[in-house]
Amino acid sequence: MSGLSGSGTGSAPLRIVILGGGTAGWMCAAAFRRQLPAPDYDITLVESEEIGTVGVGEATLPSIKVFNDMLGIDEADFMRRTRATFKLGIEFRGWDRDGERYVHPFGAFGEPWGGVEFQHHWLRARLAGRACAPLQEYSLSVAAALSNVFEPPARDPKSIRSTYSYAYHFDAGLYAAYLRSWAVERGVRRVEGLVSEIRRHPERGDVMELTLRSGARVSGDFFVDCSGFRAVLLGRTLGVPWQDWTHWLPCDRALAVACRRADPLVPYTRLTARSAGWVWRIPLQHRTGNGYVFSSRFIDDDQAASSLLGGLEAAPIGEPRLLRFAAGRRERAWSGNCVAVGLASGFLEPLESTSIYLIQAAVTDLIHLMPDRRAGGIDPRLAAEFNRLNDWQYERIRDFLVLHYTANRRFGEPLWDAVRAMALPESLHQKLEMFRSRGALPHYEYGLFSRDSWLAVLAGQGVMPEGYDRSADGLPLDAIEQRLAEFHARIRGAVAGMALHGEYVDRHCAASEAGSLAGAVV
Amino acid sequence: MSADRRVRSVIVLGRDVDLWLTAAALARALGGCGVRVEAVELASRLQPGDIAATLPPLEALHAKLGLGEAEVILETAGAFSLGQSFAPGSNRPPPFFHAWGSYGRPIEDIEFFHLWQRARRQGLAVPLQGFCLTAVAAQNGRMLVPDQTTYAFGRTDYGYHLHTAPYAALLKSLARAQGVRVHEAEHVDVERGGAEASIAALMLEGGRRLQADLFVDASGVDALLLGGAMAVPLHSWRRHLAPRSVLFARAPVFTSIPPFAEIRIGPDGWTALHPTRAATGIVHASDVGTSGTADIAATAAAGAELTDITLRRVEPGIRDAAWQGNCVGVGEAAAVFDPIHDVGLHALQLGLVHLLTLFPAGNDFTAERREYNRIMRSRCERIRDFQCALYALAPFAGPFWRRNRELQMPDTLRHKVDTFRARGHIAAMEDETFFADSWQVLFTGLGILPESLPPAVGRIPPRRLREEIDASLGRIHRKVLEQPRHDEYLARFCGGSPV
Repeated sequence: MSGLSGSGTGSAPLRIVILGGGTAGWMCAAAFRRQLPAPDYDITLVESEEIGTVGVGEATLPSIKVFNDMLGIDEADFMRRTRATFKLGIEFRGWDRDGERYVHPFGAFGEPWGGVEFQHHWLRARLAGRACAPLQEYSLSVAAALSNVFEPPARDPKSIRSTYSYAYHFDAGLYAAYLRSWAVERGVRRVEGLVSEIRRHPERGDVMELTLRSGARVSGDFFVDCSGFRAVLLGRTLGVPWQDWTHWLPCDRALAVACRRADPLVPYTRLTARSAGWVWRIPLQHRTGNGYVFSSRFIDDDQAASSLLGGLEAAPIGEPRLLRFAAGRRERAWSGNCVAVGLASGFLEPLESTSIYLIQAAVTDLIHLMPDRRAGGIDPRLAAEFNRLNDWQYERIRDFLVLHYTANRRFGEPLWDAVRAMALPESLHQKLEMFRSRGALPHYEYGLFSRDSWLAVLAGQGVMPEGYDRSADGLPLDAIEQRLAEFHARIRGAVAGMALHGEYVDRHCAASEAGSLAGAVV
Repeated sequence: MSADRRVRSVIVLGRDVDLWLTAAALARALGGCGVRVEAVELASRLQPGDIAATLPPLEALHAKLGLGEAEVILETAGAFSLGQSFAPGSNRPPPFFHAWGSYGRPIEDIEFFHLWQRARRQGLAVPLQGFCLTAVAAQNGRMLVPDQTTYAFGRTDYGYHLHTAPYAALLKSLARAQGVRVHEAEHVDVERGGAEASIAALMLEGGRRLQADLFVDASGVDALLLGGAMAVPLHSWRRHLAPRSVLFARAPVFTSIPPFAEIRIGPDGWTALHPTRAATGIVHASDVGTSGTADIAATAAAGAELTDITLRRVEPGIRDAAWQGNCVGVGEAAAVFDPIHDVGLHALQLGLVHLLTLFPAGNDFTAERREYNRIMRSRCERIRDFQCALYALAPFAGPFWRRNRELQMPDTLRHKVDTFRARGHIAAMEDETFFADSWQVLFTGLGILPESLPPAVGRIPPRRLREEIDASLGRIHRKVLEQPRHDEYLARFCGGSPV
């Protein structure tokens, strides 16, 4: 094979070419550089300043910390440079119906007693008419979030402060820039330019070379399509079909606009249901990201824009930007010598902050399954495994997102009436039945989401079980009532000792003025 | 919800360990929750030579039942088992040890298995099991109990070898102590009725009529309720696991009791040795129709005089539904496995664990039943895959193994083999009984080696890898020498004298 570089040791490195320099592209580049030995893998990323990235204010899941730790990134430094805040969960307003709210926290509800999960004891006490608070009040992370406090979790597993984890809100553009400098410093080659032509192998159809408008050519052995919705390689070039999920997730547009920071600085994302979709609010250090995700079947762009702007708590910064998308994914994320990561592989609305998680999961799997030049390059068996794992991730997250829509009591609003009546994926239907009949929660050994997450959203969306695990009857009701009261008191005590989130951020990782100037590049 | 609509009574029909473990577990978990558990006991089929080998999770079930380990070992003349040693005749391929523990520790988050592959390519001759503390302890006749000091070596665990008759008796007394009412029966008729043509009552000789809301079939392969009354067909796995003729017998006790099972691979079948403190359990499997000389073959393989010989035909398969109407089948009433991995009791345990997790909360248990059937099928199929891999990929010499190599692998297994061959990667699936280590040991033991390594392995310089490997072998060696001999441990543990 002709190569851009050769090690001269007889085995030339495998040339990985990443197309696209958004969050997905630079997460791939940085992780590959960290994990893949340099003599064996040559990494090039092609991006253009002319193409904007979708990244707005981005909310993440706790697993992002694992990714950053893997790169050896210092948390405070990373938070300063991406204007990040801490995130304990997501507040959902009006999703069941107007006036109701719940938090989906990154943390546990209660604790198991007598080998029986907490919700069964809570359900039993509730059904027996015993004194008990709403489920939400048995989660320390919910209580901390709604009190605007934050402290890192404790390591001691006996401490109630060990029952939660956290993620971040950050500026995704700044995060990509942060990873870019990390990766470029460590030998990732960055090529600036727009792709004008893609050369493929005449028989196999594999992607061989990208020609840029400047005339420069970038050839490679393995291509990673991080070109976003356009899916330049996997979709447009290789023609891998799209699997449509809009019958389950009908929102197809978003309007995004930032506004000035409003205090207090809350440690959670807020998502508020609207007549034709939902509005996000993501607090960053210097501003607040806002957006309206909606279905164009139920509202037009102008109406959506005025609805979004009308609800802002502070003056907008610039005009709302319109994004178009469709829920679904490519039938195969890896085809031939090309794999798509991020939006090029599929799209699920940012209802549960899963976009970056999906990138991270794909990157992690790719590191294990990456083609090996010495073993003959592309191995379809490994591609099949990558696709199986990727499907698993997508389908499990999809079910969880659909739950937020289908379980609602927003009667009389056409979008919400439609999603309440839609036919569900069988896998979700069964989970709903199991919770309704006995408060049972799904258990995944792989992928998202955890039992506590399902509990938060099922209960939050107003799905109430008719029964509970019979083993819970083994403990006396009086004892349960007392334990519930004690646990509730422990939570209030723990919250009382925590710092205000805004103050914690100021102390720990406040962005400096110099930092804001550096960030203006992107 | 009004309490009177909920399931308030359960009858377990069956015999021996299946019956008593089920009755004891249900009564223990639900007795205090307003559920009455009764047992209909059929005539025992236990033979004096019956010895059961168990998997590590049984200890946790015993703990839930309030059954102490010392009591179990003492009452059943039991011994500990750290795993299974597979020993092909003439040592080709070399023997391998499937231990209940981790095989090596990761370095910089890279799984040890891949590092071992790399070291092997660089000339390392130590087999994979040399890096498993549990396996090395077993092969040195040592007992290993997980504690703070074994934590650094990863998971380490154990199962038991138990005499089945005293074990069943122990469970029976436990069930009785939990308030289980026992009805002995020689013959049972089923009265159908209610919604979905469920079981209304069991009719026992002497005009006894027993009603319940839920019936659990623990009658073993006969599946008297699930297969008989409810007519749920048995789906044979014969494409993936061949029917066997299996001989059970006992041989004399070892002078020094090995803390593991040994499976001797012969040209016409295999012979397992399960050592206890009172005897050695022998299981010999050969193909159906070739078993005329099974006792001779088994005697030769065991190298000892056999007594209490019984023969049984085993046809692996699964009922189309483990739960139909108000009837739940557990153990062999729901699925039958090949005897080689001793998973029978474990499959029973899985059935009980899931039944308790899904025990009907109301009077309509459609959702629970569907979920139970889904998860039990998945659980059983993952075990089936593990078993099928051993046979379909076996490199062993002889006509028995040649025939087994013609077995068809299920798609899920084929995929697992593919990704292992390609990269040493174990494709993770839900509901597995066997950890990734077990799969890696199995595949490498069968002589399958990955064609490539995860690239990150290349980050560890060869010299560092050698040093880590040497250090690891040294740590294991020292740790094993600290362990008590199995015989001593048994003597101390059971408070009796050494055997």
